[in-house]
Amino acid sequence: MGDNNVNLPPGFRFYPTDEELVVHFLHRKAALLPCHPDVIPDLDLYPYDPWELDGRALAEGNQWYYYSRRTQSRVTENGYWKATGMEEPVMTSSTNKRVGIKKYFVFHLGESPSAIKTNWIMQEYCLSDYSASSSRSSKRKSDYSKWVICRVYERNGDDDDGTELSCLDEVFLSLDDLDEISLPN
Amino acid sequence: MPESMSISVNGQSQVPPGFRFHPTEEELLQYYLRKKVSYEKIDLDVIRDVDLNKLEPWDIQEKCKIGTTPQNDWYFFSHKDKKYPTGTRTNRATAAGFWKATGRDKVIYSNGKRIGMRKTLVFYKGRAPHGQKSDWIMHEYRLDDNTTNDANIVSNVMGDAAQEEGWVVCRIFKKKNHLKTLDSPLTSSISGDGGRRSHHHHHLFDSCDEGALEQILQQMGRGGGSGGCKEEINNYDQSNNNNNNNYGGSSSLTTRYARPFDTINNNVDSRFLKLPSLESPKSTSMDHNNNNNNNDNDDSNENNGYHPIIPVEMVTENEGSFTCDNPNNMFHHHHLGGGGGGSSDGGGGLTNWVALDRLVASQLNGQTEASRQLSCFNDPTMGYGTGNHDLLFPSVRSTSSLTSSSASINPRAVISAGAGAYISPGAQDYTTTSEIDLWNFARSTSSLLSSSEPLCHVSNTSV
Repeated sequence: MGDNNVNLPPGFRFYPTDEELVVHFLHRKAALLPCHPDVIPDLDLYPYDPWELDGRALAEGNQWYYYSRRTQSRVTENGYWKATGMEEPVMTSSTNKRVGIKKYFVFHLGESPSAIKTNWIMQEYCLSDYSASSSRSSKRKSDYSKWVICRVYERNGDDDDGTELSCLDEVFLSLDDLDEISLPN
Repeated sequence: MPESMSISVNGQSQVPPGFRFHPTEEELLQYYLRKKVSYEKIDLDVIRDVDLNKLEPWDIQEKCKIGTTPQNDWYFFSHKDKKYPTGTRTNRATAAGFWKATGRDKVIYSNGKRIGMRKTLVFYKGRAPHGQKSDWIMHEYRLDDNTTNDANIVSNVMGDAAQEEGWVVCRIFKKKNHLKTLDSPLTSSISGDGGRRSHHHHHLFDSCDEGALEQILQQMGRGGGSGGCKEEINNYDQSNNNNNNNYGGSSSLTTRYARPFDTINNNVDSRFLKLPSLESPKSTSMDHNNNNNNNDNDDSNENNGYHPIIPVEMVTENEGSFTCDNPNNMFHHHHLGGGGGGSSDGGGGLTNWVALDRLVASQLNGQTEASRQLSCFNDPTMGYGTGNHDLLFPSVRSTSSLTSSSASINPRAVISAGAGAYISPGAQDYTTTSEIDLWNFARSTSSLLSSSEPLCHVSNTSV
């Protein structure tokens, strides 16, 4: 974790919304405002492989968070992050204003033509140009928008934290329906 | 906008931005509920007390808000009271509907040690038995009685009675509709709820079989203690719990059938046993053996006991005739436990088999719809173990809409025929149960469900 020791009762975890990531953490970081709590470390452009993030990035569950910079290519020691081309705007819930963009990357092992796709996913949050240019001079704009927050996770088996119904539960639910259907004569 | 980002917990404290109350099941039980039952103070009053009889799910959602940011689930303590002074059931009715238990309770472990149980309930609007199922799901967590009171070893009977009283901690949430995420798993992660838990959409599919597998394993592990039945109040269970470890000891069955679950749980629906009798001579002994033990439990709310035990071979012989276009496919084990033990009409079994005969005929005549439905199971590229579950899951899902609408043949025929589902893996040696058995279960689940559509089809067209 970062400098601030977050002292919360059991059960509280770092599960930020997209909006919080962008508005609170990314915006304040970029604007050089203090972040409280300062829990997300800055890994700059260090080419860590996703499995090297543990102990370096902020870990919560099977997700890792860190600050980085905008860059054209994210090559690591053993592979690279490949853009999926998918983007999603990040909106404020209150004003429905677009404040950022979330981009999806997939980690590939090896080098480009023969690389192997993995289950590692990265979501890169950056501030949208709109908010960057809204109140900033052009000089600061480049600096302002260079920060990103990366959220990395591996897509694999479910950690059943009870917030979803299991497959079997779904089947039971269906069977409850069956139970109430009567036989025609 | 710092002020809007700060979270006040029930107006008392503040939680820094980005942090959410997202406790593990272990934390809920070991920290919060344990403190609650021992009247210890809990630092942040994040979990409130709720009278389940007074608040509807949507009211709970309002009352148990933490801060101002969107939530996907809500937590509260509830005190369970007996419904009747002499009974053991819990009254979970509200003004607008009622909570009904579904499935089986899940054992919650902490460091390998059992600490409590989780019950899953669904909210129905209206009054039983005509309630309308909603998307509201509740997980109700209770501590194991023997862990809260180590010095006092309670008997099973006492324990069961006690579990219907006292504090529980609950989480409610709205069931997500996973159907829409089937089209493109990758899209689903993008359209997730703010990205917070979007990865779960993937995992539902990725782990579909694993989840079932895990539960089956748990059930098997528990089988010795509970006779393979749901851990609910059930006279039958109780009597069995006291002497349940003599696998195979009490049986008059042949060794072929003298499997652990067979001998533990003889609570077999007699009508169910009539099914194989049309074709299988083996059922005679089964029938005889189990008629004596056929005790109907009328507690539809609580009784989801698994009608056990049809030997795998028996069902296979019968059902293979109408489900297997391809002799190589493996989904002839139509075993699916479940369903309540409601009352039944005596002629049901026979009628069902007439209907099934029709189905067989229609299958032989080449029902295009049926074969389309089954085609994925005949597809040699359809590997269940290879991770392509997107094909499997739709067939499972299809039942919720299908079955709630129009299965006009008594579904119990299908369900009962599959009643050995959870049993059949367990019927093997525990220690050597192979994954194959469990995969069979997964197949049987989906094939059972998908096979109901041909059933509907037949009865709709030919009756």
